Amino acid sequence: MSALLKDVESIHPSLWRGAQLARSYGKTVDTGYAALSSELPGGGWPVGALVELLVQQPGVGEMRLLKPALEKVSRRPIALLQPPHVPNALAFSFLGLPLEKLMQVRATSTADALWSAEQILRAGSCGALIAWQHHIRAEALRRLHLAAQATETLLFLVRPLASAQDASPATLRLGVRAADEGIVIDVLKRRGPARTETLSIALQPSPILLSPYGRIRRHSPAKVVAGGVPSEVVA
Amino acid sequence: MFRPRWSPKAEFGCVVLDREKVLVADALAREAGVLLGMKRGGVLTLAPDAALYERDLLREAGMLHEVAVALMRFSPMVAVCEEDTVLVEVSGSLRLFGGIVRICHQLRQIVEAIGVTARVAVAPTGQGAWMLCKRGKTRVLKMRSLERELDALPYMVVPEIRRFSDWFNGLGCRSLTDVRRLPRAGLKKRCGVDLLDSLDRAYGMTPEVFEWLELPPTFSARVELPDRVEHAEAILFSARRLVAQMCGWLSAQQLALTHATVTLEHERGRSAIEPTAIEIALAEPTWHEEHLVRLLKERLGRIELEAAVIAVRLSATKVQAADPPSEDLFPDPGGSSEDHNRLLELLVARLGAENVLKPAPTADHRPETANQWVSVQMPVTLESLPAELPRPTWLLDKPVRLMVKNHRPFYGSPLKLVSTAERIEGGWFDGDTATRDYYVAQADDKSCYWIFRERPSVTSDEVRWFLHGLFG
Repeated sequence: MSALLKDVESIHPSLWRGAQLARSYGKTVDTGYAALSSELPGGGWPVGALVELLVQQPGVGEMRLLKPALEKVSRRPIALLQPPHVPNALAFSFLGLPLEKLMQVRATSTADALWSAEQILRAGSCGALIAWQHHIRAEALRRLHLAAQATETLLFLVRPLASAQDASPATLRLGVRAADEGIVIDVLKRRGPARTETLSIALQPSPILLSPYGRIRRHSPAKVVAGGVPSEVVA
Repeated sequence: MFRPRWSPKAEFGCVVLDREKVLVADALAREAGVLLGMKRGGVLTLAPDAALYERDLLREAGMLHEVAVALMRFSPMVAVCEEDTVLVEVSGSLRLFGGIVRICHQLRQIVEAIGVTARVAVAPTGQGAWMLCKRGKTRVLKMRSLERELDALPYMVVPEIRRFSDWFNGLGCRSLTDVRRLPRAGLKKRCGVDLLDSLDRAYGMTPEVFEWLELPPTFSARVELPDRVEHAEAILFSARRLVAQMCGWLSAQQLALTHATVTLEHERGRSAIEPTAIEIALAEPTWHEEHLVRLLKERLGRIELEAAVIAVRLSATKVQAADPPSEDLFPDPGGSSEDHNRLLELLVARLGAENVLKPAPTADHRPETANQWVSVQMPVTLESLPAELPRPTWLLDKPVRLMVKNHRPFYGSPLKLVSTAERIEGGWFDGDTATRDYYVAQADDKSCYWIFRERPSVTSDEVRWFLHGLFG
């Protein structure tokens, strides 16, 4: 009996101890940030499952967090559903995502947005679906989660940080806040042990350092020799 | 025929009269005591509020033709036979549709979509199937069982025998097997060749010749609604009937639809109202009923009717040759590009073309002008973009004016400039001049913003800060 209990997790691949991360998670897509990947079951974003990103406000760095994963699935279209502001096409091309695969869907009502999300998932032709929602009911979340399970689409739902209090059927919930040099992530829910300390991640590319334009020219202009003729020629 | 099966039940029953005598009466009318063969006066006494219709042979023939066209989906060989029967030769389509049971099931669905009731019989010979369906639904696949089934039928199912029914009755015949036992020569002499021919064809002893239905080169069908309709969504049932026909027409011609028009004809009130036209354009040519009905449903859901609708017309305006189905052993896991196009069509149909967008950046220095999004259905050639141009992921629709506190821009907390300026000056050519210095600014909670300062101009030398973007 005691021998059996020692390696309980070997009984079935979908069995895991409370102190371990779940192993067989289905397909995953690497997050591109090693510190984060090692904290997620399966070592990446789960495919065909609802992933919630709870952001402090739009613009903390959620797109740069998802960028490596989106790049990997960008063979297929990427749908942005009800983005909070106008997505800047030039920024997406700067992040390295192919513009011709990008698609923006705007819905006037929550019902329309959820309907669109379900249709996109059901068609299964998109590589990733990123949806922004403020208020969403638990039944709707469960329905989205079910729709996602039948597909090979990455589904991210971006919600305000305040909704961390509400229950959700999502398999992975991450709280995202801004920090120096990137973001800090609170793992709110995962298939594995609870993690109390936050995870800080340096996002690439950082917004601050990239202003090559308008930089002061430091190197001195070329020396001008008397008469305008190089000295070797004179000699 | 006057009230399709999916339309709401008439409140006080419904009776069809043929030459002043009741031909058909529905359950409500029968409950009121209406019997077949009753005179009009009797019906008016028993059920004064029942809807009375006069039999219309032309409309019956039209309806039969509609069913025949819709059934062309299963086979190009469809014949309209006497006594309200449609004959479909499906022996070549069995494998495609997955067996006779599935065909019967789908056939039933189509007939239901059109809104009539039908009895379906299957037999190896056309005449045999025709006779079997007179008596109820039977499915017979082998010649021997067909013979057995036919033998048991009463002889009245054969139209050629009906003239001589008294004579056969006197002979003691009850079923077809009794008729067949009579000497052929005598039968031929007394009843003519037609009777024996008809029987021989049914039993598969002589070949059958049918007049297969010929289709017109263009498709345009109209249906009158049983009631005046105020809500666009209620039209869907009638539209389904038209779509079923169109799909039959498309399959028979091996065509795929790219553009169709649905016209809603309005009630003529004091002033005639132009019919409402709904254009359906398809990026991916299709001949599938399901997809067309879904598209139509979303389009009808968005329409506001000006007046009640009394008739619907569906025309196929543009068609092209259909592609043969892909026979790949391993289909793409992510769904094909046709699937994606179908998805886009569906989204556009419900949300509108202005809400399903793709990027089409233009070469302009002003960020809001450079960042253009157009409908996914518009053809766009992407220009090559500058590779190393740092830009925030989100742009605000309109830049937000920022407060200034202690000579520093303020947004929730004082903002600290953390980058050098990027000067953008453009738009002098189209009257929307922008002279701005863009900075990246960081708030106390470490989030970064893309803000700009309007450069002092001739009109004002006030320093104005605006928030324009967020780094997602």
